[in-house]
Amino acid sequence: MEAFENKLIGEIQELQAKFTKTTEKLIKDVKRQDKIMIRSDKRQQQEYDELQKKFAEVEALQKEIEETQREVVFTMGAIGESRSKETGNHVKRVAKYSKIFALYYGLPEKEAEMLKQASPMHDIGKVAIPDSVLNKPGRFNEEERKIMDTHAQLGYEMLNASNRPLLKMATTVAYEHHEKWNGKGYPRGLSGEDIHIYGRITALADVFDALGSDRVYKKAWDDERIFKLFKEERGEHFDPKLIDIFFEHLDEFLKIRDSLKDIQ
Amino acid sequence: MENLVIEETKYTPKINLDAQKGLIELTGKSYPENTFEFYKPMMDWAEEYFNANDLPKTIINFEIIYFNSSSSKLFFDFFDLIEEMSNKGKYIEIYWRYDPDNDSALEAGEDFKEDFEKLNFKLEEK
Repeated sequence: MEAFENKLIGEIQELQAKFTKTTEKLIKDVKRQDKIMIRSDKRQQQEYDELQKKFAEVEALQKEIEETQREVVFTMGAIGESRSKETGNHVKRVAKYSKIFALYYGLPEKEAEMLKQASPMHDIGKVAIPDSVLNKPGRFNEEERKIMDTHAQLGYEMLNASNRPLLKMATTVAYEHHEKWNGKGYPRGLSGEDIHIYGRITALADVFDALGSDRVYKKAWDDERIFKLFKEERGEHFDPKLIDIFFEHLDEFLKIRDSLKDIQ
Repeated sequence: MENLVIEETKYTPKINLDAQKGLIELTGKSYPENTFEFYKPMMDWAEEYFNANDLPKTIINFEIIYFNSSSSKLFFDFFDLIEEMSNKGKYIEIYWRYDPDNDSALEAGEDFKEDFEKLNFKLEEK
């Protein structure tokens, strides 16, 4: 009886030892697992921070690039303006008109904003027009008019090498802002929607501002005269849809004109 | 016994197992898609190596820059094996190399060192 009892105890003790060994291993494993998890969480957090930092850097760089592009384009616009008879706030107004036309035409906000930035470059080609023609007081003769009109083609050639989106847009604007809806414009005599919307918009914005401003060689037209011309030129010089937008949102265009008056 | 070399990939380290020199080396990152499958040849090799050879000394070099948590788990398993072999009388030195700028590599090394206190586990700055 005693021997039987001893044997059983021995087996139980053996089981106990095995059990202890197994549970010890389990505890060790669980502890390791916890440790791995803590470390891994910490590492993930560091990696996340690192990523956020990099994203912020990329974003800052992106901004820097866009800012640089804006500055380049603005500066080039200013250079163009310095070679042009347009003065004061002309390019700023054309820029703002262009954006409004773009938005009501249905272009996305981002594209409209880009057009606002690109449109001041429409006359950049004038930097290549000789001073004798550019600064001539009074009317141009036929020869001089021809030379003057090359500024659209020249602007295109200057900007065309760039692949930057904003400069590409400026290229189109410079190239096509003297085209007319009826095909009688220059340099290519494009018509209708073959003229890029950027060109059609800048053409109207540019003319609206030029007519309404005093120049050395002419007085500003009064509004009624401008409106009459626009109605006549709807579908001739200008895209009819843009003329409609102009009259529909006239108050907005006039507000810009008032807020950016040339100081006499 | 054959040596085993697995070249480094974008997600996995270079593994160099040299039975003649008594060298086990891991270098690089460890983010395998299936960690246990990826390291199985190494684990099998190590087991066979320790059971088969009688070199007086084995050197293990770990230079792991980044690793996922299942790799951590696998390294624990690996060091379990090393500890078992060490208990059987094999002389093994382990070098955990880390870049001083890489905190997580150092911390992982400290974890292993702490967990395997009987092993000859050395942390070495690169």
